[in-house]
Amino acid sequence: MTGTSALRGVAAAARFEAATLRRSPDDLMALLNAPLLAVMFLAITRHAHRGDLAGYAVLAPAVITVWAMGLLVSGEIIDQERWNGTLEAMLATPTPLQVVVLGRVAVVTAISLLSIVESWLVARVGFGVAIAVPHPGIFAVTLLCTGLAMAGTATAMAGTFVLARSARTFQNSLSYPFYVLGGALVPVALLPGWLQPACRVVFLSWATDLLRDALAPAAVPHLLPRLAAVLGLGVLGWLAGFAMLDRILDRVRRTGTLAHA
Amino acid sequence: MAEPPPPAVSAGQLTRTFQRTRKAAPVAALDRLDLTIDAGEIHGLLGPNGAGKTTLCKILATVLLPTAGTASVLGHDVVTSTAVVRRLIGIVFGGERGLYGRLTARQNLRYWSALYRQPAADGRARADRLLDRVGLADRADDRVETYSRGMKQRLHLARGLIGDPRVVVLDEPTTGLDPVAAREFRALVTELRAEGRTVLLTTHDMAEAEAICDRVSLIDGGRLLATEDPRTIGRWLSTYERVQATGVPPQLAAQLAELPGVAAVLDQPGGGIRVETDAPGAAGLVLRRLLDAGVTAVGTARPSLEEVYLHVIGQRGLRV
Repeated sequence: MTGTSALRGVAAAARFEAATLRRSPDDLMALLNAPLLAVMFLAITRHAHRGDLAGYAVLAPAVITVWAMGLLVSGEIIDQERWNGTLEAMLATPTPLQVVVLGRVAVVTAISLLSIVESWLVARVGFGVAIAVPHPGIFAVTLLCTGLAMAGTATAMAGTFVLARSARTFQNSLSYPFYVLGGALVPVALLPGWLQPACRVVFLSWATDLLRDALAPAAVPHLLPRLAAVLGLGVLGWLAGFAMLDRILDRVRRTGTLAHA
Repeated sequence: MAEPPPPAVSAGQLTRTFQRTRKAAPVAALDRLDLTIDAGEIHGLLGPNGAGKTTLCKILATVLLPTAGTASVLGHDVVTSTAVVRRLIGIVFGGERGLYGRLTARQNLRYWSALYRQPAADGRARADRLLDRVGLADRADDRVETYSRGMKQRLHLARGLIGDPRVVVLDEPTTGLDPVAAREFRALVTELRAEGRTVLLTTHDMAEAEAICDRVSLIDGGRLLATEDPRTIGRWLSTYERVQATGVPPQLAAQLAELPGVAAVLDQPGGGIRVETDAPGAAGLVLRRLLDAGVTAVGTARPSLEEVYLHVIGQRGLRV
């Protein structure tokens, strides 16, 4: 497959996902939850007279939403195709499944990032708190890297869940633990020491620390290595996801379990 | 001297087994199947449920690997030349699933067109043409989930054709369709032959196979039993016709059993009898005798595929 046709495939899959999400509002529930979470976290910081933590309260719902949509929407992409009865016909086309997953996951991730705007607006309108971004460039680049890493991780999830008989249980168990390991609300540095090494293999922990630092006036230390950690772990997700999809497709073609993998 | 063009579909000693559980013995869905389909023909693959029809379709569509043997599409091996085969073949699965219900028919086709790597403008034009052709142009922007089963099946066919395939595989496309929708669908299929496409149609409906196919292969238990002219199928249908009647006195039933060409007279669970024939014209003879005796609650029915298999294959002793 040439680069151009791969890009066209990604674009088509992205358009398809956008059209599907417009017709499937239930997949966007996490975006409805984000403002509510923001209200809760901001109310806590206000009650505790910790206005300095308002940035944390705004970031946390966004990080949770990005992860939740990656887990519940992107992670189910292949499984949904299977249940819809379209997976076999799709695999019979010249476009590799990986290309389709890439385009679709990219759109879900991009939409999930809108939650940061929602949270910021809740703080501004609901609490009269304007969250300043002293390092907008770093913030934007980190968000971009976070999106890429999330898309990569979601690809790995999509491959994993299609193999799991009870994917829903698996998905549920991967939500809250990763909010902790990813430092969504509580920075990893404040977690028990024995837990911190586990956090550092989760790209979200690097991303949330960087995003929080970008909201503080102080200079952001070790920017490049930390961005590299976010991207590196994301790329590992892509590689694992693509390798997994390769293996899955090979296995189901051999075993004949495509329709009920 | 130029080599003859490769057949549209070729299978040699094609075998596919499935291991249901680790301890169970493998089950053969295809058992050393040999099949050749010439370019431009509508080839029927006739067989009961579990005969191996869908397995063959999936192997040809490259979504299932054979356990042994070979299969090729227009000379390209389905295992080693997967990418080429996928550009040449279009597959249509029967049933209501396999479409994106929340999207419109137009959105569905445009997406599939992109997956077949057609330029966007070409894909749009082709989607519009196909929607028109399958009679869905007026409903093209309605969600597919609001379609009837017949409309969905026509959209399935359009989806199978969106990549402009030279070989079209239709896996029981008329299952569950009402007679009118099935007839419309068959008309569409015959148009494909006029365009020079090759069609492999799987079905368990002998009348359907007789109506539109150029040749019909019978398979069962994963094995090719015979490849026949569709007229032979028609002959079987009339030869093995059944007559059903109620209110038949036992003496008359016994007389019917003695008529030439009557294979069996069976009592029906709800009362009445069923007369099975195995010779052309025998059903007419039975009908005449019943009417002469004043029995008017009579009807005829075409034999089931299983009955024909029992007669035909039974006579041949599986030596085909």
